[in-house]
Amino acid sequence: MSALRAIFMREARLAWAGGGGAAGPTAFFLAAITLAPLAIGPAADLLSAVGPGIMGFAALLSVLQSADRLFGDDHGDGTAELYLLSGVSPAWLVLAKVTGQALATLWPLPVIGCLGAMMYGVPVQPALMGALALLAAIPALSLIAGFAGALAAGIRRSGLLIALIATPMMVPVLIFAAGAGRSAFEGDERALANLLLTAAVSLGTIALAPFGIAAAIRSRLG
Amino acid sequence: MLSYFSNPQRFDQLARTLIPIFAVLALGLLAVGVYLSFFASPPDYQQGETIRIMYVHVPAAYMAMALYAALAAASFVYFVWRHALADAAAEVIAPIGAVFTVLALFTGSLWGKPMWGAWWEWDARMTSVLVLLLVYLGYMALRAALEDAQQAARTGAILAMAGIINLVIVKFSVDWWSSLHQPASVIRLDGPTIHSSQLWPLAIMALGYSFLAGWLILYRLRSQALRRRVRTLQRQREQAARAREEAVS
Repeated sequence: MSALRAIFMREARLAWAGGGGAAGPTAFFLAAITLAPLAIGPAADLLSAVGPGIMGFAALLSVLQSADRLFGDDHGDGTAELYLLSGVSPAWLVLAKVTGQALATLWPLPVIGCLGAMMYGVPVQPALMGALALLAAIPALSLIAGFAGALAAGIRRSGLLIALIATPMMVPVLIFAAGAGRSAFEGDERALANLLLTAAVSLGTIALAPFGIAAAIRSRLG
Repeated sequence: MLSYFSNPQRFDQLARTLIPIFAVLALGLLAVGVYLSFFASPPDYQQGETIRIMYVHVPAAYMAMALYAALAAASFVYFVWRHALADAAAEVIAPIGAVFTVLALFTGSLWGKPMWGAWWEWDARMTSVLVLLLVYLGYMALRAALEDAQQAARTGAILAMAGIINLVIVKFSVDWWSSLHQPASVIRLDGPTIHSSQLWPLAIMALGYSFLAGWLILYRLRSQALRRRVRTLQRQREQAARAREEAVS
């Protein structure tokens, strides 16, 4: 257990100190939601209708944006081999690692998601629902990004490859998370169902993805 | 049986007999199917002549999904038993499946224009096929990016197996998603059950497509094995030449 905690702390500290912490995803998220209205147009009713969806979409992109760091460095400097030799169960190990990184870097996403939705003219209650759904989506998003990152670790310009691999896998969680905000905005009672489905996808991903990531890391060590 | 044919030589013999059989069957069935579907079958009472697009479109969509299932099955066999042939099959199936997916999307869009009045509808089925295309592309891109053959094989197998779990969830979630907004007043495709005058050409076309895919897969598997052998021979010859040079000097 202490090994897992050490890995968790190491990841969180590394992401905080070396990787700029939450600055990368936050800046990306802010840039994306600033640019979207410039492309769509300033019509208030249109913006409030697309607001919840744009928040989910931009959050997904900002998770993808930092996905290559998670396992890329470990693959490059031999840490991945040491992880597998350490005797700690690899599935638990990658779960601790991804959680550490996600907690250190992705915590502002629900906050910005909520504020951004209100800037788009979404009322407070649906904006909060969207933020809650984003929070529920973060485990799934970061684990899927980690899976793609582990498969493509150490490949030159792996960012593009990671995006291509992770996008289809993020379809369900995007649908449910953005759907929660959207149906809350439309006054549809399915908002809660969407939120629960988002949480369900996240839990399912927590159950399955660590094994996939561990297998991916092992396969890349030849 | 699996391990019996995983012997490369036995597989080569099998492929050599099957390739011409599949080729004849595929071309014959496709010729009959094209004749039946384009000339001998009646136009639909609702959709008119455009129903003929269905005979090209539906088998392509079926092949797109069947080939992904085959890709995942081959990946599973490789991952568990490490049969090199299963990996070669997975590598070969992916581009063929991707082409059938593109064909399904393209013909679907051609069919959608007269039927729905739009080239593209974000309906559940079309969206999941589009996601399927992305999955194929991701698989091929990952394999192409990995230079080490064994790494490419193992990593690809993991991705292909994860993809099949994912596609099931995508199917469910996309159904949920497209039921969120009220469906537009489009003509439903799944109206009355299909009449036998349309079922026959469709079934023959589907069989023809299946044999075509089988033919292409076996052909590419053989040519890949040959390419590998040529490379080994070249390497041996280079080594022999180098050894001779060293002996002379």
